[in-house]
Amino acid sequence: MALTQVSSNKCAGGFQKVFEHDSTELKCKMKFAVFLPPKAETGKCPVFYWLSGLTCTEQNFITKAGSQLAAAEHGIIIVAPDTSPRGCSIEGEDETWDFGTGAGFYVDATQDPWKTNYRMYSYVTEELPKLINSNFPTDPDRMSISGHSMGGHGALICALKNPGKYKAVSAFAPICNPMQCPWGQKAFSGYLGPDRSAWEAYDATVLAGSYSGPQLDILIDQGRDDQFLSASQLLPDNLISVCSEKKIPVVFRLQPVGPCSSSQCLAEEFPPLSFSFCHRTTRNFLRFLHD
Amino acid sequence: MELDDIRGGRLDVISEEGEHQDISRESSTMEACYVVPEPGGRTFQRFSVNTNESLRFEPCEDSCPSPTAAEDDVFEKGEFEGEIIPVRNQLQGKVAEMENFAGHLEEIFLTVEENFGRQEQHLEQHYNDVLQTLSQRYDERATGLQEEKKSKLESLYGQLLVCGQALDASKVLIETAQEIYRCQDKRLFLKTVMPIIKRVEEFAKEDIDLTLATSLEFSTPLADLTDVKTMMDSINIVPAPSAPVINPQLPNSATQTSLHVCWSLFSDDTVEYYELYYRPVLEDTPADSTCAPQESKVKVKETHCTVTDLLPNAQYELWVTATNTTGISPASEKALYMTVPSPPVIKQRECSSCPEAALIRWESGNTNPVDSYTVELSETGTVGTESNITESIVAVPTCQCLIQLQAGRQYFISVRAVNIGGPSERSDAITISTTGTFFYLLEDTAHPCLSMSEDGFTIFYGDEELPITAMAFEDNTFTRCVAILGDLIPVRGRHYWEVEVDEDTEFRVGVAYEDTERDSYLGANSSSWCMRHIRTPSRHKYEFLHNGWSPDLRITVHPVRIGVALDYDRGTLSFFNAHLEQHLHTFRCHFQSYVHPCFSLDNPGALTVHNGIAAPDYTVT
Repeated sequence: MALTQVSSNKCAGGFQKVFEHDSTELKCKMKFAVFLPPKAETGKCPVFYWLSGLTCTEQNFITKAGSQLAAAEHGIIIVAPDTSPRGCSIEGEDETWDFGTGAGFYVDATQDPWKTNYRMYSYVTEELPKLINSNFPTDPDRMSISGHSMGGHGALICALKNPGKYKAVSAFAPICNPMQCPWGQKAFSGYLGPDRSAWEAYDATVLAGSYSGPQLDILIDQGRDDQFLSASQLLPDNLISVCSEKKIPVVFRLQPVGPCSSSQCLAEEFPPLSFSFCHRTTRNFLRFLHD
Repeated sequence: MELDDIRGGRLDVISEEGEHQDISRESSTMEACYVVPEPGGRTFQRFSVNTNESLRFEPCEDSCPSPTAAEDDVFEKGEFEGEIIPVRNQLQGKVAEMENFAGHLEEIFLTVEENFGRQEQHLEQHYNDVLQTLSQRYDERATGLQEEKKSKLESLYGQLLVCGQALDASKVLIETAQEIYRCQDKRLFLKTVMPIIKRVEEFAKEDIDLTLATSLEFSTPLADLTDVKTMMDSINIVPAPSAPVINPQLPNSATQTSLHVCWSLFSDDTVEYYELYYRPVLEDTPADSTCAPQESKVKVKETHCTVTDLLPNAQYELWVTATNTTGISPASEKALYMTVPSPPVIKQRECSSCPEAALIRWESGNTNPVDSYTVELSETGTVGTESNITESIVAVPTCQCLIQLQAGRQYFISVRAVNIGGPSERSDAITISTTGTFFYLLEDTAHPCLSMSEDGFTIFYGDEELPITAMAFEDNTFTRCVAILGDLIPVRGRHYWEVEVDEDTEFRVGVAYEDTERDSYLGANSSSWCMRHIRTPSRHKYEFLHNGWSPDLRITVHPVRIGVALDYDRGTLSFFNAHLEQHLHTFRCHFQSYVHPCFSLDNPGALTVHNGIAAPDYTVT
């Protein structure tokens, strides 16, 4: 698996790099961003995976969120993959912004024409970590995962479906119950077909209801005035009630302002919020690293 | 050159020891010495014996000359060297002895002078007294004699006058008679003759006192010189002693109930025994002298005495007299001594600690004020092993002390009260562990509806409604929020404690400034921060309150053991679900002053504080 460095910039005492490689899962060239803190020059570092939301690429998080400072301070590698396969020339992939390109929904599609390339779940949970671990000074036992909106959904399901794999999980305005919201229903029926039972495997709320594994500590931030919250796309309450029932520890914060789930708004309107979220997420992760 | 001088000097000295020395052997011996190479040249000491100056030493250095005559002896250096050295050492020793002796002689000389001076003074005074008395007597007698003479002369003069008068009168009479007799006029003669004759007859009958008014002798009464005699005699008698000098109090010579007093006699007087008087100095001296404090007295033969049965932290006035066969000396000056105070009592429930320091509070243990306190600490070693590293902090002015300590150790801390007399016994020690932050709850801040367990770490809010009248509100108690404060955390850095609650207990836990409003609810004002749990029939609700505002939070697993982490330096107050090691929320606040932990129960229930725990790692990031 050869990596090609696309760019490298000094940032916060470390390096913000972008690499490209041929993905075996996605069968296309994929880019991902890696931030290497100063500590990576001398030792192994834990890894923080950030999954971006609808319409995003590997660039959004690294340019807008300002997470590098916290990562550099605590010696954490940040990996931010793209949100879907690119340039696969699949018909209909660029028709809408919430399905297809830039909207992989972190599932392994079973339906044509998506099933060949749209395998973001395996990419994020298998191929990418292997790639990262063999090319960078990582501590493979210490990974955490996080994301925004669709990426939040991705982070939640990756953690719930892989008990013990991730030391910490947090989500920023995540889609908590995709089966019950328009976005999720559109994506799942396209990628997974009409059988709703197939959807359950990728729904955080459902997965939480049947989760059994090591204690999972979930941190969720949500803007109160988020238009998508009011449009019932995100449905955090559903996840919270299931977690309360199942005693899965969640701390859910409703922020007084409203980051809309669009990634642009995320950083442009609320740099301090995202920064604070990153800080708290990092800290959350760090707490688990002490075990 | 010095060679000759030295040799000469040497010879003089050696001649003391042994008279006969072969000169030629001497010179070869000398030369032999100089052949011996020594680094840096030799210093050779000589001293001048024939001068009047006190002994002194002059070092003189000599260069190493080449041997002038090559003699076989020169190269036998070992033998001659061996002879020279002990002799030299002997001489040096002698010289040192003589110096000592001279010094001693000087001392004796001075002491003799002193003693002589004293004796002389004494004698002079004595004889002066005698002379004075005698001269007094002389004056008296002389004056007396003068007066006697004067009176005698006066009376004689008086007599003389009288005689003169009588003579004059007789003369006048006779002249009158003669006149009459010569008078030619017979008729006049006859008229006046009879009275004249009568007068002459009468005059003739008068007895003339021809005795002297006074005797010509002077009375010489016996001079009463008995007192002079006594004085003369007393020169030979041992005088009554002079007043002793009582010493000021020596440090560490007193105990709580006793004083060790010393005095000395600065004269050669013989003393049979001393009497030490003492009485307590009372603060309010009553005007009525009959109520004056009782004077006690001890008779001792030594010049020191330990007085017992005294009160602690009390001032006493002491003076001493010396007595011999002649009499009692005047009293010494009065000295003020003080007994040592009683030990303080550490207030266990008012002591708190954290990894780097401990705050100890105590009661004085004495009714009257003391000068200061000394805090003593010794480490018991980490977990069990005994080690006696002792540290003292002196001059603590008030009944509390913040002591710097090291983390993760255990200490015994005790306090002594100190006054002029010295330090008291140690108070009972308190054990302090510098693991985690430890504090007691302040009972006097508790809302009347709160009751506390024996050990002071669990608070209860009872079911029964207390009537308002039964509630005793004081200045410091909470009046609306059923709350209590913990002791102040007066040390910068990080602190951690845990609070244990039940499923359904509605509580508030956090921190507050000392002056937080007692009639307000925790978290509702700007002087307190807390996590609040509200129980509704359907779910648990949580608020993180400050100034009445809380972020909107949902927590899915209800914490029954809440970790509270305070960081003064970073200005944060964090809350955790301790069982899950889950972070719940962090306040970012710039604490203007130190804070107290605070706890309240919003519905009947109980809450237990656990402290003295090291902050877990997950709370530290």
